[in-house]
Amino acid sequence: MVTMSTDSSTTIEPMSLADIAKEHGDAGVTNREAVFQVNDLAVSYSGNVAIRDVSLDVFENAITAFIGPSGCGKSTLIRCFNRMNDLVPGAKIAGQVLYHGKDLYADDVDPVEVRRRIGMVFQKPNPFPKSIYDNIAFGPRVLGLKDDMDGRVERALQQAALWDEVKDRLKESALGLSGGQQQRLCIARCLAVEPDVILMDEPASALDPISTTRIEDLMHELKREYTIVIVTHNMQQAARVADMTAFFSVEVSPDGKRTGIIVEYDRTAKIFTTPADKRTEDYVTGRFG
Amino acid sequence: MSRRTLKGGIFKALLLFSLFVGFLMLGVLLVDVFHDGLPYLDLTLLTNPPSSDPQQAGARPAILATLYIGVLLLLFVVPIGVGTAVYLEEYADKTRWYNRLLEINIQNLAAVPSIVYGILGLAFLVRGLGLGRVLLAGAMILTLLVLPTVIIAAREAIRSVPDSIRQGGYALGATQWQVVSRQVLPASIPGIATGSILALSRAIGETAPVIMIGAVTFISFDPTILGPFTALPIQIFQWVRLPQEEFKLLAAAAIIVLLAILLTLNAFAIYIRNRYRRTW
Amino acid sequence: MRISFQEELDALESSLRVEGELVLRSLRGSVEAVCAQDLELADEVIAFDDDVDSQYFAIEQGIELLLARQTPVASDLRLVLALLKDNLHLERMGDLCVTIAKLTKLTKGLQPDDALLEGFKEMGERAEQMIRVALRSLEQRDRVAAESLLELDELIDRANRRVVNRLLDLGHDLEVREWGLRMILVSRCLERIGDHAVDIGEQTAYLVTGEFREFTDASH
Repeated sequence: MVTMSTDSSTTIEPMSLADIAKEHGDAGVTNREAVFQVNDLAVSYSGNVAIRDVSLDVFENAITAFIGPSGCGKSTLIRCFNRMNDLVPGAKIAGQVLYHGKDLYADDVDPVEVRRRIGMVFQKPNPFPKSIYDNIAFGPRVLGLKDDMDGRVERALQQAALWDEVKDRLKESALGLSGGQQQRLCIARCLAVEPDVILMDEPASALDPISTTRIEDLMHELKREYTIVIVTHNMQQAARVADMTAFFSVEVSPDGKRTGIIVEYDRTAKIFTTPADKRTEDYVTGRFG
Repeated sequence: MSRRTLKGGIFKALLLFSLFVGFLMLGVLLVDVFHDGLPYLDLTLLTNPPSSDPQQAGARPAILATLYIGVLLLLFVVPIGVGTAVYLEEYADKTRWYNRLLEINIQNLAAVPSIVYGILGLAFLVRGLGLGRVLLAGAMILTLLVLPTVIIAAREAIRSVPDSIRQGGYALGATQWQVVSRQVLPASIPGIATGSILALSRAIGETAPVIMIGAVTFISFDPTILGPFTALPIQIFQWVRLPQEEFKLLAAAAIIVLLAILLTLNAFAIYIRNRYRRTW
Repeated sequence: MRISFQEELDALESSLRVEGELVLRSLRGSVEAVCAQDLELADEVIAFDDDVDSQYFAIEQGIELLLARQTPVASDLRLVLALLKDNLHLERMGDLCVTIAKLTKLTKGLQPDDALLEGFKEMGERAEQMIRVALRSLEQRDRVAAESLLELDELIDRANRRVVNRLLDLGHDLEVREWGLRMILVSRCLERIGDHAVDIGEQTAYLVTGEFREFTDASH
């Protein structure tokens, strides 16, 4: 603009909307490395197929949400990522789950090692009946990471935004904390073993709205360093926090058997503005049957 | 008064009556024992060996033997009982037939009459293993007697640890043994302790198997583990059978001692249970 | 709390301010083009509207995503709705500047009237002032400042009437009449820009009070 006069007293800021898009990782998420690649996965419990035909990629340093009605197998799926389904007698996996390109279910893979890298936070906070310090220290201790335990505990609690609230009472029982604090404690416990991925199975569904918001803010912070996968039955939560969202539904076979299937998997923005599948649209608008 | 209220009142009265009957029996027993035994409750009872002179007689060997048996019992029954319970609850595949068989048998064992254990001990320990009629054999057979109780108590304690604790442990990368030894067992200790102490107090009072094993009724020296022995219930039994009236009163005093030991143990069990009661 | 939500809201507001600056540049350019009969400048103003439009679309899209993902309520919702409408008002202002530039090009070679051009200069400054007041009242959530726009609009309306009266006095020459018709439209555009600024003020008042009221009724 050569001849148009400019008022030199005002400066024009850069396009901050583009900055926001980059910051919150919506744009370009699918260009990142895939931490998990799921290929034609099916899970059955004692012969009943809980979920089938799942193929998707989970991207690095992003929050991926699994949403859908109850019984669609989303919890089953997330538990495949850290081999927690191994603990259920009668559980069988067909298909492939690759973690950084390696088959998680190969014969030479140790499930204990898997769970160290891929941590999990559960729906109902489950602190151990020990002191706050011992709760956080449990993971490192069982894995043989005994150096600088005080430092480890403090770092984990800082990352989980809980340090300031408990730093003066580390030796007190963890059961004395409030629900929201207990859940953050469980997150800190998970972080203390320095995982790569954090899986969250409905992490805030047992909490009040304020604690929920704090956990969501925490997730935004954590995704800078970790990859997060969350299962939630609250689709507004998925809309608020997730970069990628997968919608699952239930298929009922003629003989009444219910199996979970994946319907759509895309950037969250797309799922909640212009979903490709009508079933997705019906679910997110609250109009399913 | 309406019919419903009347029915409620009658029901409540019946309940109180049953309670009353129980307490009445107990009360009569205690009053009788204390009335007879209290005058004879003195230090000689505790420190002197038995003798034919009622003034001199004491139950010292019996008391010592009872204490030794108690300690040995705990040393045997806790590891075996807890170990079995841990195996059944944490490691066993419950669908396998041999594990189901094991479960049924534990329930059955708890119902076997104690005299049968006595015969078992006589045949296998005293004669079969050649141990002879020694204190150790007595402790071992009492261990077998109360083992099912301890196993059941330990299993209940382990079961009461919520599965979410185990899941949390596994999710952090702990092995099964680490989860069991560092989470499940520490959390079950109150239940296990309570069960063990109650088992102990039952074993101390058992007379039949100890007699079968061969607890001698007259011992004047302090017992050793691999030597002949007697126990407090047997000493009481023996005194009651003697013709002198004074021995019967002495027996009552010994009963008071026995009751005191049992009550102390039970109170301790209750204390532990209340102190470490956990709300998950 | 809800840090990323707040960041998104702030980004949308500051983007609106950026759009406002772009519109101001457009306005100054178009008024200067008319007053100086500068056809090159008029072309630049027309081309520059693409920048305004792309900022408009970016904000539109940002608001759509915010509504879909964050489900704002209460004052957040009123803010988002106000931003949505203000975005449209600013974009319309940009279009009006383009119209002024196009009219300037059409009057190439025609004889201008200096008094009228003075009038436009004054209206342009008034409009510029109104846009600044409107945007500042939004930023500071200042209802009183928003309501003051009504008085400023009155000034533009009077200037518009003076332009019309002056044109009626100018004469019957064909060329003069052609020029005059075009200039009435320019005056009308500037007056419309003032109205849009008032509308932005109304949105600010709605945001602050929760009630939507026109500052004045249609009879005015």
